[in-house]
Amino acid sequence: MANLNIDSVKDRTFDAIVIGSGMSGGWAAKELTGKGLKTLMLERGRDVKHIKDYPTTNMYPWEFEHRGEMPMAVQEANPIVNRCYAFHEDAAHFFVKDKEHPYVQDKPFDWIRGYQVGGKSLLWARQTQRWSDFDFEGPARDGFAVDWPIRYKDIAPWYSYVEKFAGISGNKDGLAELPDGEFLPAFPLNSVEQYFSKHVKSKYSNRHVISARCAHLSKPNQIHLDQGRAQCQERILCQRGCPFGGYFSANSSTIPWALKSGNLTLRPFSVVHSIIYDDKLGKATGVRVVDTNTKETIDYFARIIFVNAAAMNTNLVLLNSTSHRFPNGLGNDSGVLGKYVAFHNYSAHMSAEYDGFKEWTTDGRNPAGGGYIPRFRNVFKQETDFLRGYASGFSAYRRRQRGWDGIGSSLKDNLVNDDLGPWSVGSHMMGETIPKEASYVALDAKLKDDWGVPLLKISMDYDDNDEKMKKDYIEQLTEMFTSAGFTNIQASSDHRAPGLDIHEMGGARMGHDPKTSVLNKWNQVHAVNNVFVTDGACMTSTSCQNPSLTYMALTARAADYAVSEMKKGNI
Amino acid sequence: MHRRIAIKNLALIIGGAALLPSCVHNSGKASVKLKNVDINADQEKLIGDMAETIIPKTNTPGAKDLQLHLFVLKMVDDCYTKKDQQDFMTGMGQFTDLVKKQYSRSFGECDQKQREQTLLSIEQDKDPKSTTYPAELKSFYGMVKGQTVNGYTTSKYFMTKQVVYELVPGRYNAFYPVRKKQAV
Repeated sequence: MANLNIDSVKDRTFDAIVIGSGMSGGWAAKELTGKGLKTLMLERGRDVKHIKDYPTTNMYPWEFEHRGEMPMAVQEANPIVNRCYAFHEDAAHFFVKDKEHPYVQDKPFDWIRGYQVGGKSLLWARQTQRWSDFDFEGPARDGFAVDWPIRYKDIAPWYSYVEKFAGISGNKDGLAELPDGEFLPAFPLNSVEQYFSKHVKSKYSNRHVISARCAHLSKPNQIHLDQGRAQCQERILCQRGCPFGGYFSANSSTIPWALKSGNLTLRPFSVVHSIIYDDKLGKATGVRVVDTNTKETIDYFARIIFVNAAAMNTNLVLLNSTSHRFPNGLGNDSGVLGKYVAFHNYSAHMSAEYDGFKEWTTDGRNPAGGGYIPRFRNVFKQETDFLRGYASGFSAYRRRQRGWDGIGSSLKDNLVNDDLGPWSVGSHMMGETIPKEASYVALDAKLKDDWGVPLLKISMDYDDNDEKMKKDYIEQLTEMFTSAGFTNIQASSDHRAPGLDIHEMGGARMGHDPKTSVLNKWNQVHAVNNVFVTDGACMTSTSCQNPSLTYMALTARAADYAVSEMKKGNI
Repeated sequence: MHRRIAIKNLALIIGGAALLPSCVHNSGKASVKLKNVDINADQEKLIGDMAETIIPKTNTPGAKDLQLHLFVLKMVDDCYTKKDQQDFMTGMGQFTDLVKKQYSRSFGECDQKQREQTLLSIEQDKDPKSTTYPAELKSFYGMVKGQTVNGYTTSKYFMTKQVVYELVPGRYNAFYPVRKKQAV
């Protein structure tokens, strides 16, 4: 180890260390620094400063060399990340390229990553729904994984807490399966979305089509202005980084807030090798990092450690943190660390047309993306032969149809005088998958990355439950579309590998029992009370709602608990 | 020459929309630097003449004014598969031969009407097994036309003068009467 002298150790000692700077790491840093803790935030990638480091954010379409399209050489060199819907010329610089950080696919898994300050919070699709008791009670009710150690009431106030700061738009829809939050005004449904919403409401007692809830400042409150953020400009260029802070990202919101406290030290270019555990003290004492520029190994020390490296990498860090006490990974007395990982099933889509509302179109762009159909299957009772259910996106839009036929001046005229096509509607499924012991991540026995960290092996797949659920989604949406009078209804099912949903979760799950889980109800490692895991790795099950808002709420809650325990002298 | 290439490439980068005077090629090489397809000055001129036939200068700028042929070449060079690039080159040869056979002169030497007729008859031949127009030729024409139109409709000229692209402020009107003229 380099530079082991007393002063240096003092310089490298903090009250808290946060591993990772994305969606949940940003919250950990904000909460801990806000409570007065000198906090070190470690990020393996480069720094990305709000506005300054968004190189494409103000570019016009014609300013892109290939008008947004990725060059074939880049596509062919990056088959995995190229499958991500947002990997285009305007945002490619925020994605990890395939060769840069290899991993081992025991089964095909499209691991989409953003290694930079802010992580994937720059790139997410910004859908934010609360989970309900139907989600937290799922494993206990349906007999899979283990029981969540918390219920909706435990986290509800923390949802409110993070929603107010992040800024979430939505309507109070009054649905038990999708609890209301602290909302900014919703982005409205358009004529066909509203028509479908009314139709579904009239025909089905438990099905709803609502305005999608999303992390956009539709109408900022003072707290958002205080963060230096402004109203969403509805540009829908979010993946480039938003100079207005119109949507929530760690870069625009939590990290600058934490920096403003004067308590945050941000250290990019720092790959975490492991968490240091002291056998004698019986607790974690710090974090070992490798500087990606100098390859130097440096130890940092702190009283508490928050692990927010993103689900898969959090598992990697914990598994690689071995000691006499924990030969199989930090806190892994149960042996379940790395197991029971799961994801979301986004592999089916619907499209159709609607021959009506020709007098209406839309103008501009909807940052929320349209409508959202909360899970309606197996919610109040088990009614199908598969477990759990799916939410669905729903949106309607009219495309401009430009006549591309012919050449010359008539073609020029056609291109200018475009016509609106009929209304098109689309939907995609967002299904819950079941965490299983056989779905795991582990360290590769031989292969290591450039910093001496073992490569992660990933092994998870769809199962019969997912297939049945997908079939049901297609059947139910087809029925709903048909009864609404939509035409040309097409269902499509793709054969994407897990991972492309970018909702991988689990591996260090929460639970009541240290014998079957890694974390307790406070996201605290059962056996190491000064280490907290609050990113996707902590999730006991996956729900079908988007997970980011829940990571934020769990993080704020855990940070509050951690600091109060520190004050009581328990940590 | 280097400076000229640099200026042209820059023009392409900032949108292929700068109004540069078209330059006369004295050397046999294309004026735009390409990595995968080997294009000489004659071929570049051919693409320029085709693009200009597709999007001619009228009372508004045409393909050459907007350097769309360079955009076509750039896209074929960077964003197409090897197979498509081979088809492009083969099809271009077939196209050149076909014109020579039909009119006993090059496409560039044809008059406007001949040029238009040549391109339109390829476009209007929907028979995939056509003996007049082999698959590669159609594929070549499809790429030239597709990227000419793509370059045109995404050019700064088109997106500022013909339609209005608004970067900011944006808006979302969920109910918007169709009759009003919209921005993009």
